[in-house]
Amino acid sequence: MIDFSRVQKELQECTRDTEASGIKVSPKSDNLARLIGTIPGPIGTPYEGGTFQIDISLPGMKNEDVGMVINLCGVIGGFLFADGYPFEPPKMQFATKVWHPNISSQSGAICLDILKDQWSPALTLKTALLSVQALLSAPQPDDPQDAVVAQQYIRDYQTFIGTARYWTETFAKTSSLGVEEKVQKLVEMGFAEARVRSALEAVGGDENLALEKLCSV
Amino acid sequence: MLLKFKVSGTKHPALECLESPCHQSSSSANVDVHRKSDAELGKNSISDLQASIKTPQQIFVFQHLHLFLDDFTPLSLLIKDLISWSCGSNFDSHKIAMSKRVLCKFFAHGACLKGEHCEFSHEWKAPPNNICTYYQKGVCAYGSRCRYEHVKASRGYSSASSSSTNARPSLVSDPVSPGHSTRTALGGVIRVPDNPVEISASFRPFIPPATPAWNQEFGLHDPLDDGDIVEPSYVRPADRSICSFAAAGNCPRGEKCPHIHGDLCPTCGKCCLNPFRPEEREEHLKTCEKKQKQLEALKHSQEIECSVCLERVLSKPTAAERKFGLLSECDHPFCVSCIRNWRSSSPTSGMDVNSALRSCPICRKLSYFVVPSVIWYATKEEKQEIVDSYKTKLKSIDCKHFDFGNGNCPFGTSCFYKHTVKPGSYAWRHLRPPPRRPPPHRINFGVIDDLFDVFEPLEEFEDFSAEDLLNAELTSFEMALLLMDMGLDPCDSSSDEEDLYSQ
Repeated sequence: MIDFSRVQKELQECTRDTEASGIKVSPKSDNLARLIGTIPGPIGTPYEGGTFQIDISLPGMKNEDVGMVINLCGVIGGFLFADGYPFEPPKMQFATKVWHPNISSQSGAICLDILKDQWSPALTLKTALLSVQALLSAPQPDDPQDAVVAQQYIRDYQTFIGTARYWTETFAKTSSLGVEEKVQKLVEMGFAEARVRSALEAVGGDENLALEKLCSV
Repeated sequence: MLLKFKVSGTKHPALECLESPCHQSSSSANVDVHRKSDAELGKNSISDLQASIKTPQQIFVFQHLHLFLDDFTPLSLLIKDLISWSCGSNFDSHKIAMSKRVLCKFFAHGACLKGEHCEFSHEWKAPPNNICTYYQKGVCAYGSRCRYEHVKASRGYSSASSSSTNARPSLVSDPVSPGHSTRTALGGVIRVPDNPVEISASFRPFIPPATPAWNQEFGLHDPLDDGDIVEPSYVRPADRSICSFAAAGNCPRGEKCPHIHGDLCPTCGKCCLNPFRPEEREEHLKTCEKKQKQLEALKHSQEIECSVCLERVLSKPTAAERKFGLLSECDHPFCVSCIRNWRSSSPTSGMDVNSALRSCPICRKLSYFVVPSVIWYATKEEKQEIVDSYKTKLKSIDCKHFDFGNGNCPFGTSCFYKHTVKPGSYAWRHLRPPPRRPPPHRINFGVIDDLFDVFEPLEEFEDFSAEDLLNAELTSFEMALLLMDMGLDPCDSSSDEEDLYSQ
């Protein structure tokens, strides 16, 4: 079971010092089990200036029935206790495309030990997001999530920097603009405002995708 | 009792009869005796009786006879006459001690018939006590006929006490005197005439009123004192208790309080230190300090948050949750449910039991056991105390794994619980624990509750190598069989779980 009271506390805590850390966590919907975290790209890295969104999904009780049965059979004592967040790590995934050896360029999956076997219930969503932010500034190509990016990082670091910066410019910066600004930008490109708006809405607010859509029509 | 003294040298039937009422506390019995004796005693002349009363014991008997005479039967009247004769009327018998030292009252009035043979002193030293004490108390049956002076109480008290001071030394100085013992014995006897049914109105005045006269003799303090303090001058200060009002914080009597006000305890701020009992003082100071420390620790503990649930441990809704879980190797606070939850959670995502689950969530230091405690410690010594007391407690509980020598405890000799080998058990017979794997027939799936019970202590004490237990109990194949037995498809269990058992 998810400890929702703890999640609520964490959210409050996070909102309180969001100015200092730049890290935001907000629920995706009414359900606190699915949240969106936002981290700024660390300064001095190709990710600087970008704002990265991370999908967070909090695990509930897993294999509940099996766990109970096992407990009854006495194989593992104390298995009756509720699992789930914070006793299990939150599932985190980049929603924003990012070029990083430890982050899948396709799925956004993060390779970070504290989100897996090194999770500790003393960690919070905020500290986990901070760790992800730290990962952006300190890639670990020896333990890659995305082999292509890792190869590039090792063999051609300059190209890697360029690609990473390009991806940041392309995918991580647009979201920082307001809807009106995006509309303005696209209208300036020569598209009709109504079409721009509907295209933006269709792709979920992504400026680049909207441009693609507008061009493809 | 009073008349158990052998009244020696007398064969008079009156005395023989009169002995009996004193053995019986019932008034009706007394009356019977009187009636029976009336017939034979009526004829006896007073002079006969007078002649037969010679020894001090006999006199004493007669002095107290009036207590049992409550009617106008000839015998009663006769005896009353006798009594008046023997002790100088007025039944002021209590003040008579059987000693030459006491002035003969008859002599004082110039009318002692015994002359030189009188047991009482005929030496005129002290001024005679010629005041009627009955009159002073308000009732003298003789009225104007009384031979004693009828003076009011104001003057009387001083003279009454002087009379008692006259009498007292004689009692003390004469060890053979039966006076003392009889007086105490009288306490029981005197109640007889108190029965209102038996007492006739006219004789009532002869019964000593509420305060018996001998109380005055022994009364060393003002009789009006209600006994709030019992003879303070005769009690050692260490035996006196301190004022409980003051000890509780406030005595309404303040300075005027007759009890000792204790010294102020610096810890609890109450006047509860007895100045005359040093051991008690020490003890109070010690316990008070300890209590204060505990209180402070508790106050301090209130603030402490669990790092897992981010709540104040002692503000949790249920009492079971309001406990800290102390890790043996580090000092990070958790509530006991959270830390146990974490330590016992399933290592699904490939977590290593020892490096992740058994370690502190904050500092990742490996701890082997969790100690529940309602209080958070401030010092290493306090922590050690908590841990030690917990271990002592567990040591008094029989280990469910060990099962008095029939089971195999995975913790072996380092188990915190008690391992008692019962005669006749496996360990008793073979001097070694039974093999780890329980025989198949012993797993009875019908009695799941029993199995659950067996493993209950694991919830209390979850810190063991899980591998040990897994190896010990069931292989994954057996587990699959087990699940099938319970009507569950083993395929349902995730691969994670399967991995777990094959690890």
